[in-house]
Amino acid sequence: MAGRDYLGEFEHIIMLALLRLEDRAYGVTVRQEIELRTQREVSIGAVYATLDRLEKKGYVKSRRSDPTPERGGRSKRFFRVTAQGVTAVNQIQRALSSMTEGLGMIGSYS
Amino acid sequence: MTSQARFVQPPRFATWLVNLFTVPQDDSIVGDLFEEFRNLASRSGVGFARRWYWRQAVKTAASLFTLGWLAAPWSTAAAVLGGFLLAGYVNRLPDKALSVATDRYLMYWSSHFQAYLWLLRGMLIGHIIASLFVGSMVALAAKGREMVATMTLALIFCAMAGIGCLWLVAKTGEIASLSGLLWYWADPLAIVVGGIIVRTRRSPMTAVPTA
Repeated sequence: MAGRDYLGEFEHIIMLALLRLEDRAYGVTVRQEIELRTQREVSIGAVYATLDRLEKKGYVKSRRSDPTPERGGRSKRFFRVTAQGVTAVNQIQRALSSMTEGLGMIGSYS
Repeated sequence: MTSQARFVQPPRFATWLVNLFTVPQDDSIVGDLFEEFRNLASRSGVGFARRWYWRQAVKTAASLFTLGWLAAPWSTAAAVLGGFLLAGYVNRLPDKALSVATDRYLMYWSSHFQAYLWLLRGMLIGHIIASLFVGSMVALAAKGREMVATMTLALIFCAMAGIGCLWLVAKTGEIASLSGLLWYWADPLAIVVGGIIVRTRRSPMTAVPTA
């Protein structure tokens, strides 16, 4: 994989959120999962902007559901990680593991 | 969910703002905001939910603005450049009309100076109408990214006006020159309004909300 195809930090976080949520991954659940686990406020627009970018790269696929009343008659857009996306996540995970190997407690550097 | 939270609606203008930047016929982003607003309103109160909704709407509009650029950078840039050139041509028309009118009826204006002053004010309105036209044309060219293109063009003109005024202040030392910025920024605002008009006509989701 070329260096430019590496996942950015937020892309990486979103991919991990999609993998955690499996078939329940849509805008609301992805945003809440990230807020819950990273303790940082994320806008729904930032989530969609990143998901669109990931979809263009072929790492993510989306499908629309039927409109529901609790959403004011609007549809949901569900996302799932593709095989290519899983490969990209594994690659970045390996790179991070390799870079942090032997560093001991990362917290001691802060 | 409390009965109040079940019937409460999110701020309409915030929804309208987000819809201006979404892809037409894509209601999933506003649907997500709506769903979370309802949940927050029942858990934390309507006031908290409204503040959260506004914050999310503004951030989302900013993200979608960037996304619009990244999705089609060349066609958006072409629309902005075309608008820039068109504005350069169209904005000269009111001045040309004024020049013709003053030359042809010089005797009349010299004896009706107050009317001449009103004519000058009319020129400012002429410029705003010209900018509305430019904004509409840019929005027509940038289909689906109307607000991205018109806001970019408006920001360019705002920056140019700002730099021009600062240069004038630096040269003359007259801080009062900065008050002219308000007039200069009326044209970029009209460009954005032109974009909103076209976007609203194209997409029923962006109909201007009524209070």
